[in-house]
Amino acid sequence: MKPTGLIFFPAFDWAISPTHPEREERLLYTRDQIFEEGIMDLPQIREYKPRMAERKDIARVHFCVPDVDAQITEAHLVSAGSSLVIADAVMKGEVKNGFALVRPPGHHAMTVAHGNRGFCNINNEAIMVEYLRKKYGLRKIAIVDTDVHHGDGTQEMFWHDPDILFISFHQDGRTLYPGTGFIEELGGPLAYGSTINIPLPPRTTDMGIHYVLDNLVLPILDEFKPELVVNSAGQDNHYSDPLANMCFSAQGYAILNSKLAPDIAVLEGGYSVETALPYVNMGIIMAMAGIDYSNLREPDYSPTRFKESSQNMQYIEKLVATQLANFRQREEVIARNRLEHKKMYTYYKSIFYDTDGIHEEQSTQLRMCEHCAGYRVIESSAQHPRWGLNRVYCLSVPSYGCPDCQAEAQKLYEDMTGSRNKYNYVYLQDRVKDVYKSLESALSLETVL
Amino acid sequence: MLIGIDVGGTFTDGVLFDGQAVVTSVKQPTDQQNLKTTLLKVLDDLLTASAGAKIHRIVFSTTLVTNLLATDSGDKTALLLLPGPGLPLDTYRLFNDTFFLKGSVDFRGRELEAIDKAEVEKAVDAIKVRGIKKIAVVGKFSNRNSSQEQEVRKIIMKRDPQMEVAIGSETAGQLNFLRRIVTTYYSVMTQSTWEDFASEIEKALAERGIQTQVDILKADGGTMPLQISRSKPCETVFTGPAASTMGGKALTMNPKNSVVLDIGGTTVDISLLIGGHPLYASKGATIQGHYTHINAFSVRSIPMGGDSPISIDQGNINVLSRRRGAAACFGGDYPTVTDVFNQKYQLGIGVALQSSQKLAELIKGTGIDMETLCRAVEDTVFNRIQEAIQEMFMEWENEPAYRVWEVVHGRKFDVEELIGIGAASAAIVPGLAGRMQVECRIPKYAAVANALGACVARPTLALQVHIDTQNKVFAIDQDGLSGSIPAGRSFQMKDAKELAQHHLVEIAKSRGMEQYAGEAEFYLEEQFNVIRGWDTVGKIFDVGVQISPGFIEEYQGVSR
Ligand SMILES: [Zn+2]
Ligand SMILES: [Zn+2]
Repeated sequence: MKPTGLIFFPAFDWAISPTHPEREERLLYTRDQIFEEGIMDLPQIREYKPRMAERKDIARVHFCVPDVDAQITEAHLVSAGSSLVIADAVMKGEVKNGFALVRPPGHHAMTVAHGNRGFCNINNEAIMVEYLRKKYGLRKIAIVDTDVHHGDGTQEMFWHDPDILFISFHQDGRTLYPGTGFIEELGGPLAYGSTINIPLPPRTTDMGIHYVLDNLVLPILDEFKPELVVNSAGQDNHYSDPLANMCFSAQGYAILNSKLAPDIAVLEGGYSVETALPYVNMGIIMAMAGIDYSNLREPDYSPTRFKESSQNMQYIEKLVATQLANFRQREEVIARNRLEHKKMYTYYKSIFYDTDGIHEEQSTQLRMCEHCAGYRVIESSAQHPRWGLNRVYCLSVPSYGCPDCQAEAQKLYEDMTGSRNKYNYVYLQDRVKDVYKSLESALSLETVL
Repeated sequence: MLIGIDVGGTFTDGVLFDGQAVVTSVKQPTDQQNLKTTLLKVLDDLLTASAGAKIHRIVFSTTLVTNLLATDSGDKTALLLLPGPGLPLDTYRLFNDTFFLKGSVDFRGRELEAIDKAEVEKAVDAIKVRGIKKIAVVGKFSNRNSSQEQEVRKIIMKRDPQMEVAIGSETAGQLNFLRRIVTTYYSVMTQSTWEDFASEIEKALAERGIQTQVDILKADGGTMPLQISRSKPCETVFTGPAASTMGGKALTMNPKNSVVLDIGGTTVDISLLIGGHPLYASKGATIQGHYTHINAFSVRSIPMGGDSPISIDQGNINVLSRRRGAAACFGGDYPTVTDVFNQKYQLGIGVALQSSQKLAELIKGTGIDMETLCRAVEDTVFNRIQEAIQEMFMEWENEPAYRVWEVVHGRKFDVEELIGIGAASAAIVPGLAGRMQVECRIPKYAAVANALGACVARPTLALQVHIDTQNKVFAIDQDGLSGSIPAGRSFQMKDAKELAQHHLVEIAKSRGMEQYAGEAEFYLEEQFNVIRGWDTVGKIFDVGVQISPGFIEEYQGVSR
């Protein structure tokens, strides 16, 4: 039996600020627990060394304003790079699955990155997914986000991609950051049904979450048939988490991982650094490695402590039925959308960066392509507290984009950069060619990654 | 005068060293059944050679404990474990006679579950019935709070005062319960045999009227007084390679990236000096397949050496591992690796003509000419050694890292030189260095580098302090030391380092090595704010300080 790959990267020398929840101490007790248990010494585990991601790996998924270096620290490169090390180990068959137990996290980071949102600058899962597609030719991948916060960044990044199934269960956005992730959010017009949100009421327990898993997540995965399953393994659904109000346990997380059997898990949030993380992380590692976790529990855990109310269960059952139906009619809806919409599909939105206090206004145009997911044109302006107003123009050709979309996006980039324009920066992200260009208008300075 | 004796698996080497030059060296076959006799025989030869000159220090390195562990012939020992929640109990059932008890503490030393006195007593009775007289008691996180282990020990002693008991926190205080179990178990298992040996040596020395300092080499390349070693038998494992590596370091005394190749008759032992510092095994000494908390050099052994016979089998040229006797140039019946190098480079080792003759006999009628044979053997030998060196680098470069700084700065090992020691190194190492395009050193005294390394090695000591200012406690990973820190003032990294340094000096004094305390260096300085809500309620420090392997003050290198 192959081992489970593990990178433990606690970034003991990186914090957002000394008392911020995303601080050095976050994985300290997790280190104590996993080192003391000696789990890394077992033949079921193979520990890997982290590495830094390349700037190109980041440009493949993000438009970093003004450039990659402005949005990241070395810690971000290591955290993202660690997921890539695990991805390589899984794809090369050195391990049967792998867990990147790393910080800083990433699932709130969106396509255009003006700053830090929800403790995240760059999206580790998105970077890994597009890396897997580019390097190993994968196409259909499922991401199951089990963080208590809606994975709005990951959702946004794959919103228009019908080959990436994004499932997020989380505490209802009406009661928790980032205030999104409702059942109506089902994906773009050409990717309808490949985004599935399961907003759960506060105080949902193991029972409620496992009902969702058994009756919605697993059946959907079965039908979608992804080539690879990724778990965005946030741990803030835990009953002791200080930032949320759910009642999930370490046992619950371990069982979830056994059932879900992700190929790759990447740590996201989880801020109960002392009473949850050491045990939840052990549970995930043990479940992935096939080690019996019946002896694992939090010191204050009692199986009878939390009980799901029948009212909650009824709500969850209804939710599951609705989302199952939504998922199953996705092809129908996409076909209808193709008929209804014109050549370009346009929408607007505002984004707030809580950590950095940035307001961003965005418009997106999607080409309603018959052959692929369609290229996107994103115009964005953001008022940054330090850098002032930045206007950017971004072109994104999706992985597996068609030659028409590629050519059209290329032409738009040339037109825009060949003349005077109102944007500070113009970007072209061509994932098919794997070429990432940016132009700083004032200096006519082009960078190619 | 200094005396160093390395009791090896096949031979025992000894040197009498005047601080600059080897006055005499002695080599004797090792009597595995009676290491003491071999050791004393070599000692007596050296004492005779010293002609009454004053002996300042005697250092031994022996395979006694290594052999006990390899043959599983120590004393029967029971394990009482307090594993608490976490991995399944079977993970920790590594040895027979393992009992699991109630009781557990967490990573901050808080008691999660109390011990059950009646349960402990029942276990003691069961152990007694099995005829076992030794018990190792080990708890998960006992390094953060040892009170449960101590309590269990008290209960055992009360129930059966004849039992010998050791506890994990006093034996191996580093994080890693699995390795703590193994280390404590093996310590208990080997202790009385080692103590008997130590007593016999002391007696023999007294009989010879020697009142000098006697030290034992440890797996980490440092020494400890014989007296102190009585309670730390496991630290004397794998000291053969440690002696050789320290010998290689002593004879070159430079801060380069070097590979030490100890090439004997049947094995090549490889160790690395990174900027002059020996590389340690990242998971400690591995004993019988188990990782331990014993700090040991990272050594790779290849079952191949100067005496490895050459064979030709259906046109294939092979280097065999089983020794069939000495090289032909030393009167052996079969041509060996040494003969090939002797022939190829006209080294004039032994009776060189015999090398040529035996090799010529070997190729006769095979259609293989001498040049082809020599090249093939050389390639095999070089490739095996180079592959092993490469693997060691890769392993070192790919060791996990937990800080951004470590990942960003990476690790790269560029070999600058090969240091050849051991009897067959002069034949093989220069050619290999040429192929690798690095410098080559075959130092003077290369043949007795192991014994020389032992006699000039200085004492080592490493300790790590874990301080929790919210709970106002500290715990040290040596000897189960712990205590409380003063309340009412802010505790900073500076204070943490002072605390660590203070305890290092105290322990150094108790081991008679205080003159080296000034050489101590901090190797770990970690500090975490403990935040609850948005308030800092305390700090956690992990500070490590060590006297690393090096040489005694009077040693300044050998004279040319
Ligand atoms: Zn979260
Ligand atoms: Zn297209």
